[in-house]
Amino acid sequence: MADFRKLVAISLLAGILAGLLLSVLQHYQTLPLILAAEQFETPSAEHVHDWQPMDGWQRNGFTWLFNGLTGFGFALLISASMYWRDQRDYLPGLGWGLAGYLVFFVAPSLGLPPELPGTDSAELHSRQAWWLFTAASTAMGLFGLVLTKQRGLQIGGACLLALPQLVGAPHPEVAHALAPEALQQHFVLLTAMNNAIFWLALGALSGRLLRKVTFQ
Amino acid sequence: MKTLAASTAISTSKFLTGFTAIVLGLTIVLGLGFLQDANNTLHNAVHDGRHSAAFPCH
Repeated sequence: MADFRKLVAISLLAGILAGLLLSVLQHYQTLPLILAAEQFETPSAEHVHDWQPMDGWQRNGFTWLFNGLTGFGFALLISASMYWRDQRDYLPGLGWGLAGYLVFFVAPSLGLPPELPGTDSAELHSRQAWWLFTAASTAMGLFGLVLTKQRGLQIGGACLLALPQLVGAPHPEVAHALAPEALQQHFVLLTAMNNAIFWLALGALSGRLLRKVTFQ
Repeated sequence: MKTLAASTAISTSKFLTGFTAIVLGLTIVLGLGFLQDANNTLHNAVHDGRHSAAFPCH
């Protein structure tokens, strides 16, 4: 239990700090694009009465909270993996951060690029299912490819990396976006960059903080 | 034999500690990224975060 509490404390601190960094990047880069894209949306009648955070501090506050909490969750995955392998310090942390970026951002984005509001997509549940399948398959694939030494497992890992991309993400029959194409491309580029910075910072911080504690 | 038993016990508890942390982490991440509620309250609160983290949204 003592070890578990240390992992939680490390992850909370790393998650909050990396989440804060991501929030600042998003505030100046991607949020303006989301707000611009929403100008092209007309609110549908059924959604008008739903509660939503007011633009400004309330809306930003929830995004910052979301970033801090997802940072905490992702940092738990990194610090637990490093704990298992007796790793600590920046460098292995950066490696795990890169792995997290590949598993949770790059691989799912190859099939389902980050979208601005108002973009038509396939049915939500099918996209969520493909996203989960892709993250799981990529995680197992990377494990087989990088962390095992047997040829068979490495080949299996490479296959698992390719599998979700070969299956392909669900897409609508006719793609249609309200926001201009250039805005969408700009959004994908900035999102990819911000998440890379976030994941590398998260991994390095988790690794560095692991040096501060001794486990039982 | 004693040494072997002791080292097995340590690695089991180490496995469980890491495993619990991973389950907790996945619960937080997938909850924030995927849960939908009837009134869209949760969705609307985390909307910008989901779009920026490339979670499927809407």
